[in-house]
Amino acid sequence: MDRRTKQGIMNFLQSVKLCFSFFLSLGKKSRRTKVFYVISFVPILMALAIKLAQFFYSHRDISGLAIFSNMIMVFYLQFLILILALFFGTSLCSEELEGKTLTYLTTRPVPKSAIILGKYAAYTFLTIIMTGVGLLFTFLILNLDNLLDFSLYVLFLRDLVVLWLGLICYTAFFTFIGTFLKKTILFGLLFSFGWENVIQYFPGSTQRFAIVHYLKSLLKVPTSGGFSFLLFRLEPTPPGIAVLMLLLISGIFLFLACLFFSQKEYILQD
Amino acid sequence: MTAVIETQNLSKWYGNILGLSDVSLQIERGITGILGPNGAGKSTFLKLLTGQIKPNIGRVTIKEEPIWNNYPLFQIIGFCPEQDSFYGELTGWEFLKNLLILYHLPRTEAEDKAKKAMDIVELSSDKDRVIRSYSRGMRQRLKVAQAIAHDPEILILDEPLNGLDPLGRRKIIKLIKSYEQEGRTVIVSSHVLPEIEAMTQTIILIHQGKVFAQGNIHYIRDLIESHPHIVSIKCNDPRTLAKKFIHQDFVLKVHFGETLDSLLVETNNRDRFFALVPSLVVEHQIEVKEITSPDDNLQAVFDYLVGK
Repeated sequence: MDRRTKQGIMNFLQSVKLCFSFFLSLGKKSRRTKVFYVISFVPILMALAIKLAQFFYSHRDISGLAIFSNMIMVFYLQFLILILALFFGTSLCSEELEGKTLTYLTTRPVPKSAIILGKYAAYTFLTIIMTGVGLLFTFLILNLDNLLDFSLYVLFLRDLVVLWLGLICYTAFFTFIGTFLKKTILFGLLFSFGWENVIQYFPGSTQRFAIVHYLKSLLKVPTSGGFSFLLFRLEPTPPGIAVLMLLLISGIFLFLACLFFSQKEYILQD
Repeated sequence: MTAVIETQNLSKWYGNILGLSDVSLQIERGITGILGPNGAGKSTFLKLLTGQIKPNIGRVTIKEEPIWNNYPLFQIIGFCPEQDSFYGELTGWEFLKNLLILYHLPRTEAEDKAKKAMDIVELSSDKDRVIRSYSRGMRQRLKVAQAIAHDPEILILDEPLNGLDPLGRRKIIKLIKSYEQEGRTVIVSSHVLPEIEAMTQTIILIHQGKVFAQGNIHYIRDLIESHPHIVSIKCNDPRTLAKKFIHQDFVLKVHFGETLDSLLVETNNRDRFFALVPSLVVEHQIEVKEITSPDDNLQAVFDYLVGK
């Protein structure tokens, strides 16, 4: 690699970093972030309610870990990370167009692809923090009786990383969608709660066309609880390949998003 | 003198709608005013100059480099867009500082420049207020501040005086003129002739997506002077006034308005007409309520010039 190329890469990374800082400070203040922080704390309330019910009615036939796993499967994996990725990912481009603020970004000496990557990184970071905080408190509340069992923390960390991988992957996908579609929410909802929910139950290789398939392949299948039917017919991909696939999908969609955003002409409506 | 900005056969359509047609120009250092009525294609032209949109035909070069996707060029360009849009959650200070950081400036330097720009547009005392709470004039000044904050060599301003009070206008005009004295290139658009006239003698006249005229402002002034003007006067005795006007050779037509107190006068010499009005009013003790020029706007002049 010659010096000029190296310098170019360094400049590009520096631009991504600058955009990341800009959108992180902006994202922290946005109303949407505050709303989603509240939503991401819903499982904490649910965990509290469950724990109180267990305490008062002495129902202890389901372990805290099993409830936690079910919450990951139902609330986090099939709802929260999809919603977070959908609203943050698609808004990456659309909020600049609708707010007519795109001009302020595209008239600065930073590559357009750095704007997309920096903003993607900032928004993904925000959603990672949201899910992380919510999940940690949920985990601690549900496992109050076993807080000294350190093997549980390993499981918690694994689940957390899987959810984060899901956020990274889904946000990359929705970022790409947002760079070329105008009405992205409807498409996103259909994808999230239609395609992803249906395809994952198809037998054979078809289920590998859903991102959630690779996420579920990385999670421990709950053996108890009322929601185990959701894993019906899951034919898991080996963990290493699942991680690779998730990273590959994220990389491809981010690359396409940068390409589209750099080449497409966005006309701000008067 | 070599051109700083050059356009060749620049054309832009929005679907079937023509935005700009076959514009070939060379813009040199100093202030160039882009003048034209609303919807003439001024903003399209400036968006093409700043690489916001791609031309369908033709090319734009700034300092002999194409602008589209040429982000390093924005180190020397400052752009003030027409739209009144901001990141409303940020304070004026955060907005300016964060945008300056995107110029790869160290944080302290970005803060110094942001402070300087805030001082220039006189927003320092309101810098910590969220932009959403700013008045229209303050937002307009903030837009100008973000365009000048990094000390650009080329400044492109789309309707920078919109929403400003007379004092604010004067200050921004003074600022723009100071840029010319420093040998920079400024392109400023407006649909108000006196605004452009206060800043520069060099204008580009755009109408219906085409460059109608380019050069010295006196040319357009002469065109406007030869255009008959309609003046509406509301007073307590329009008939006496009409009787006096009818004898003047520069008065072409006199009509009475729909209401009993109004008079419409068509004149081919506005200066002589307006010089006469005060003396007639005083001499005949006429109580004037209002004097307006219904067609005293650029659109009317353009319509007249293109023979509509």
